[in-house]
Amino acid sequence: MSAGSRSTPTTPVDQVRTERTFPRFTRAQRWEHGLLILTFLVLLLTGLVQKYRLTGLSQQILSTPERLELIQTIHRLAAVVLTLEALYHVGQGLALLARRRLSGAIFLSWQDIRDAVQMLRYLLFLTDRRPRYGKYSFEQKYTYWFMVFGLGIMIVTGFILWFPILFTRVFPGGIIPAAKLAHSTEAIVGLIFVVIWHVYHVHAERLNLSIFTGRLNEDEMRTYHALEYERLSQQPSEDPERGEAE
Amino acid sequence: MTRQGSPPHLAGLLLGLTLARVVALTAVSVALAKPSSLQPSAPIAQSEEECLSCHGDPELAMTLPSGERLSLYIDPAVFEISVHTPLGIVCRSCHSEILGYPHPDLDYATHRELSRALYMACQRCHSDNYDRTLDSMHAQAAAAGNLEAPICSDCHATHDIVPPDQPRALVSQTCGQCHTRIFEAYAESVHGTALIAEDNPDVPVCTDCHGVHNIQDPRTALFRVETPELCAGCHADPQLMGRYNLSADVYSLYSLSWHGVDVSVYRANWPTIWHESAVCTDCHGVHDIRRTGDPASHVNPANLLTTCRRCHPEAGPNWAGAWTGHNRVSLDRTPFVFYTQAFYASFAPFVLWASGIYVFLQIIRATVARVRRSLR
Repeated sequence: MSAGSRSTPTTPVDQVRTERTFPRFTRAQRWEHGLLILTFLVLLLTGLVQKYRLTGLSQQILSTPERLELIQTIHRLAAVVLTLEALYHVGQGLALLARRRLSGAIFLSWQDIRDAVQMLRYLLFLTDRRPRYGKYSFEQKYTYWFMVFGLGIMIVTGFILWFPILFTRVFPGGIIPAAKLAHSTEAIVGLIFVVIWHVYHVHAERLNLSIFTGRLNEDEMRTYHALEYERLSQQPSEDPERGEAE
Repeated sequence: MTRQGSPPHLAGLLLGLTLARVVALTAVSVALAKPSSLQPSAPIAQSEEECLSCHGDPELAMTLPSGERLSLYIDPAVFEISVHTPLGIVCRSCHSEILGYPHPDLDYATHRELSRALYMACQRCHSDNYDRTLDSMHAQAAAAGNLEAPICSDCHATHDIVPPDQPRALVSQTCGQCHTRIFEAYAESVHGTALIAEDNPDVPVCTDCHGVHNIQDPRTALFRVETPELCAGCHADPQLMGRYNLSADVYSLYSLSWHGVDVSVYRANWPTIWHESAVCTDCHGVHDIRRTGDPASHVNPANLLTTCRRCHPEAGPNWAGAWTGHNRVSLDRTPFVFYTQAFYASFAPFVLWASGIYVFLQIIRATVARVRRSLR
């Protein structure tokens, strides 16, 4: 951080504190996330039961052939919902980008590489300065793009597995076993990623509820999105809590 | 002792072998109603001679009420080949209702009725195998009214009973007496040709898969769901398969396949519910299993799509390429799976490890920062 350190004290206790919030996600984006949680969980549960169908628990759940069919139907219904959501997301994003109504903040840039290197240096005690992020930190972009590619793999392979005969009319038959392997493995990769990365950054490091509330408060903005804060508020983002980082 | 000329060599052999016992046991009764107490051979010879004095006549016959002619001739030569002869099991061991002459009347309308009554003698010694036959589908067929369903003597013969598996091909030929078309298909198969031409001890005969006496209906869901295990009995044995340069992984790889997992689930949970997922025989054939390279094989690359289409009628020409053919993943055979596997064996774990280490470092750094703040 640059000059002017410690010029902004914390909010005095004897003053009425007016909390200023910054919009982060639109209502539609928050609904999208809700839908994603729902379909992700349904797909995960109904999928794992099928992937590990020889285990005792699976066999209790799949106690009859009809149950297995039911589980598969639920899986496919959720998959259709998720696919429609993904198509909406991509379509909406592209449409807004084309009309210049959406910033390209979510796209990867060289700055993300520099931020990652800086962050690694910070984590290895080589520096005390953390990178200052814009609207999305490189960690958040990593989450987003990991999910985009993971979901892409899951959706494509899932439909190949759902309609194998249709797909092999065009593509070689070898894609079927490959799709099965990819679908089955990518699910676990995605699950591990969510457990490690998402849970830590959004639930453990801090409880970031902005995807539900749609906004961040001033402290959060200054701490985690300093550049975005400065851009929006035209004020320096100096954070006394992070004095040690100076 | 002999009232009529009998095969001199047989009588001589039996007498010669047991001369000492003849002396010792001349007083012993010839009554041998209990076959479990195998008696020495001297009275046997005597018993046989007695019976053959009439039944050695090739013309001896009677007419049954059905009009069938029932030959009562016993070729003395059968005593030489019968497995019972060396054990001292003689005519009356089985024909225990015959206590002398004249014999009791035969009260059977047909030859088959007679056979079905007389074969009950077998269980007096072979009770275990007889009991097994009661569980067999042959017994079910008989219970349902099919009197042609086989009884002991149909497979093992009556007087000329020989070891049923010498050579082993005899087993399948015996079944083939009734199951003619199945035997013809089997005889042409990779198993059948090796059995008949080479007397190969490794290939299955009918009874290896179907059981011996308690032969079950192979058309049930239960038999179907057990089929992969049945084939795996030999085809998952590396030593046995090694002799023929065959892979012993076919079963384990099948178990991982779509079909195999489905079948495992049904086998574990619902073995008696019919399932459509392919088992070995659906693709390879049941009795007409041939080498994969054989142009007539159902799984020959040229015929594979036709075989797939029996269950997947809509499948297009690329469909058979989806089958990995019981092979381990390799670049040559299954490039798509190979690259997918390579991706998930290298890049994906790398990314996950990197993410995990990053978060771990973050936890350490955050802890240190917090400690520093609190110490300040």
